[in-house]
Amino acid sequence: MTLLPIASAKEVRSYARHLTLRHPARLAGVLVLHGLAAVSGLVAPQLLGGVIEDAGHGVDRAGRTALLILLFVVVQSALVATAAYASATLGEKVLAALREEFVGNVLALPLATVERAGTGDLVTRTTRDVDVLARTVRQAVPDTLIASVTILITLGALVMTSPLLVLPCLIAVPSLWPATRWYLARAREGYLRENATYSRITESLTETVDGARTVEALRLARRRLDRADADITEAYRAARYTLRLRTVFLPVSDVSYVLPVVATLVVGGLFHLHGHATLAEVTVATLYVQQLLGPVDQLLFWTGEIQVGGASLARLLGVDRRRHTAGPGPGPGTATPAEPGSLTVRSVRYAYRPGRDVLHGIDLDISPGERLAVVGPSGAGKSTLGRLLAGIHTPHSGSVSLAGTSLADLAPGELRHHVALVTQEHHVFRGTLRDNLLIAKADADDAELTAALKTVGATRWAAELGLDARIGSGAHPLSPAQAQQLSLARLLLTNPHTLVLDEATSLIPPGAARQLERSLAAVLEGRTVIAIAHRLHTAHDADRIVVMEDGRISEIGPHDALVRQGGVYAGLWNSWHGRVTQG
Amino acid sequence: MRDLPALDPGTPNTRSPAGYLRWIAGLHRGPLLLGMGYGILCMLAPALMPAAIGEAIDAGVGARDQGALLRWGAVVLLLGVVQAVAGILQDRSGVAASLGAAYRTLQLVTRQATRLGAALPKRLSTGDVVSAGVNDVVQIGGALEATGRAAGAVATIVVVTAIMLASSWQLGLVVLVGVPLMALAASLLIRPLHRRQGSVRAQQGELNSHAVDVVSGLRVLRGIGGEKAFEKRYHAESQRVRRAAARVARVEALLGGAKVLLPGLLVVVVVRLGAQHVLAGRITAGELVAFYGYAVFLATPLRRLTDAVDRFIRGHVAARQVVRFLTLEPEAAPVTGRARPHEPAALADPVSGVVAAPGRFTAVVCASPADADALADRLGGYTPSTVTYGGVPLHELPLDEVRRRVLVTDNDARLFSGSLRTVLDPAGRAGDAGEVWDRALDAASARDILEGLPGGLDGVVVGAGTEFSGGQRQRLRLVRALISDPEVLILVDPTSAVDAHTEARIAQRLHTARGGRATLVLTTSPLLLDRADHVLHVDAGEVVAAGTHDDLLADPRYRSVVTREEEAA
Repeated sequence: MTLLPIASAKEVRSYARHLTLRHPARLAGVLVLHGLAAVSGLVAPQLLGGVIEDAGHGVDRAGRTALLILLFVVVQSALVATAAYASATLGEKVLAALREEFVGNVLALPLATVERAGTGDLVTRTTRDVDVLARTVRQAVPDTLIASVTILITLGALVMTSPLLVLPCLIAVPSLWPATRWYLARAREGYLRENATYSRITESLTETVDGARTVEALRLARRRLDRADADITEAYRAARYTLRLRTVFLPVSDVSYVLPVVATLVVGGLFHLHGHATLAEVTVATLYVQQLLGPVDQLLFWTGEIQVGGASLARLLGVDRRRHTAGPGPGPGTATPAEPGSLTVRSVRYAYRPGRDVLHGIDLDISPGERLAVVGPSGAGKSTLGRLLAGIHTPHSGSVSLAGTSLADLAPGELRHHVALVTQEHHVFRGTLRDNLLIAKADADDAELTAALKTVGATRWAAELGLDARIGSGAHPLSPAQAQQLSLARLLLTNPHTLVLDEATSLIPPGAARQLERSLAAVLEGRTVIAIAHRLHTAHDADRIVVMEDGRISEIGPHDALVRQGGVYAGLWNSWHGRVTQG
Repeated sequence: MRDLPALDPGTPNTRSPAGYLRWIAGLHRGPLLLGMGYGILCMLAPALMPAAIGEAIDAGVGARDQGALLRWGAVVLLLGVVQAVAGILQDRSGVAASLGAAYRTLQLVTRQATRLGAALPKRLSTGDVVSAGVNDVVQIGGALEATGRAAGAVATIVVVTAIMLASSWQLGLVVLVGVPLMALAASLLIRPLHRRQGSVRAQQGELNSHAVDVVSGLRVLRGIGGEKAFEKRYHAESQRVRRAAARVARVEALLGGAKVLLPGLLVVVVVRLGAQHVLAGRITAGELVAFYGYAVFLATPLRRLTDAVDRFIRGHVAARQVVRFLTLEPEAAPVTGRARPHEPAALADPVSGVVAAPGRFTAVVCASPADADALADRLGGYTPSTVTYGGVPLHELPLDEVRRRVLVTDNDARLFSGSLRTVLDPAGRAGDAGEVWDRALDAASARDILEGLPGGLDGVVVGAGTEFSGGQRQRLRLVRALISDPEVLILVDPTSAVDAHTEARIAQRLHTARGGRATLVLTTSPLLLDRADHVLHVDAGEVVAAGTHDDLLADPRYRSVVTREEEAA
């Protein structure tokens, strides 16, 4: 399994830049507000220094100063609130655009890409990466912004108070800088691994619990316990690694935070003793330096988070539709074929991986209204042919065309009005029963929906639920048979003249199959049908049967002719069915 | 740090949640006590910092005493170092206690899950158990970890109070009353925020599920072309989440402002009163700076204390869930029978008349799938019945003995993840014995799956085999069942998702692969029935006809079950 691509660091940077510049005025506004808030936060220590200085000289201006401090506290809190709101709304806007773009990209992914990568990776990106990015945009980015602005402005204030007293701050740099670099270089990997061990624990426990009956049947209890212990060992190792990282980094950084305070105090005090600084300057500078520690700590903390957010963004951008246009999939064409025409396959080849053709030159003509069955062992290329016929894959060479128009040239919305694919996979989407049907035809009215449900024999349960009932995962569950009827009703609404059935009823329990076959028969009425079958009884009713072996058509013709011919199909038919007809 | 996981998690106190917490805390007494000690040191050091800085300013800078300045500077530095070292030591002991507790609880939950066995799905949903095993476990660890911080916070509040009251009881009182008031006001403000945040999180979760829904339904969507409609719906929902989040942001922003305003007000009061005290000579300038520092600082231990209390509450709730799960009892008391029939023996169900005899390939055709499931459950001893094995009633045999001798494999049988070798041979029976593997793989016609997986038998199967198709999973289950080689193998619809070519091969080889052992297949597939030694036709729970497939085809009822299309035609 190949994973979906991940965007490069350069692409992520350029995308982040592009995002930042999408709303330049609002961004500037946010920055100015944060800056003003930081400035007003610096006034209190300054005024406190004044009070102490005054007290030293026996002057009482404390009442006025307290009022001033009060004023600035009120202003600061108002500014902080406004700035936070402005940056949050901007963040939410960007976030919404990001996730919508992502889902749009997922919807446009060529099916072949999704299948190669499996849905697991895509689901992780959809949930975990979107969440991580939300956290980054909601917290890491604004807090980093605030911390940076506050640091700059506090440093500025320090310079204005006493330029000389900026120097002692720098004492932290030689220890803090390399320690942080060392830590950040390892922390992300370490914590990701630690999280992954938790997922493993969850996964193993889910398997043990889900498969409790199997665990008992195969007497695997001991092995499941060993597995849990192995997971714990792994998790413990990962947790100890991150603990080791913290053991090295945190003491260094914590001491580094105290160093500037001590240095400012002592150096400032010495300056004062030698007449280079006033008592107020030393006091204020010490308080400023203490105030710096919080934002510096925040900045370092969020740097790690932003790295994680960047990694998630890279994974989201990896799904960008523009990366996949080269891959197979319905083209952006605009043509509309005359309908209903015949479906023509001409020397088609197809490979999932370059150089490993699954289909080796298929030729086939299907006339309107025909019932065609495709049989053959698994791996013969039946499903691949079905997907080519439904326009889901585009052949690497040769062509699949409908009434003379290549499927690849059809407008994306147009294709499904002509050909649709029905697989054994059925999926009930989250939402109401109505939503589930409207996917197929957005402008259908309730009468149309009810009629479609009636045709597939779903009237009873659908009426019991009502069109507004919420179904799908987490809501009212549908039985597999009901889910299959629902997808058949969708097909009726889409109303294509040609249907490709890929083992559509194979996973249905035998008890429900008979009723579903009736529902299916109602849908097939009056359409061209290509049925990929592995149960032979679906084949024998077809007008013609295509036998596929190793990516080639080995036999083609009506049932009786093929049986008379005495080839592969005849052999199979006899072993499967011969005795019934004799009996 | 000690070695984890513990070899034996021990027997917990499951009388009450508090009892459980006491039990698990008692096991980690050492790191917990150490953690509390370090927690106190780590929190006291910064608490003393403002006082030390104040002294440095008063006795050093103000009094122009270089020696005092350097001394107090050194004290500040020392406090910083103590904080740093105690901090990491507290972290380490906290992690030791919390991981120890979490892992032990996880072991207990896993043990209980395997003890309940097949009865488990009837008692609780997977989600409940996994939540107990993962989330609750973390919460219990978190509660233990919070003890160190709680101890530190309490000690700090006491010490700071003492210092302030000693230097000026009026100012001290102002700060002492002011800080908790502030904290209370903030917590009142924060409650509606948490509610709203919760609702946005829920909406965000909903949105996520929506996106996951898109991903998992993508193939279906491609078949009918509903992408546009979906994109529109997602967009609308995403914008709804955005608006809700913006509303929360407004409350959050107000709270952010309040967080500046409230301590700010306290500072104003402290400065106003303090300045008067300084002027009156009751306190020094340094002490004023210290008070200013405390007014800002005290919020931290207070927040840690409320945070720790919150953790304890959550730990208690989690312990309740865990205790509830650990006290579940299996439905039927484990069978204690000692009877051991001679082997090989026949498994017989007197109710239906079905018998699986040694050396025989028996097929059972059930008119209704519900009949087949019920029969399989009875024969496997999953439901109470009168089934006998070698003449001995099944319920008189030890359960483990039944599981060892009789294996039921249906299409819900779970494949576990791991290397393909362990997936197919979880008990490690076949080992490297090539002929065992060959026979099972050939009989299930599963070689192509092996060849398709990078790494073959050592290739890794993830997600419980969901990457395989339905037919492939069926064949893998069959391989697993054949390798485990029970005396009686009961297969329920083993080839329903396999194509006709492959099914024909499986039918042909299955009998030989089982050697002289009993095999019973519940199926309606003519390909399998044709190869069976003996076919039983079960209708309404009883055998109505028996013979070979050929013999039975003369019976129209049998024909209608095994050849469905005859009826449709």
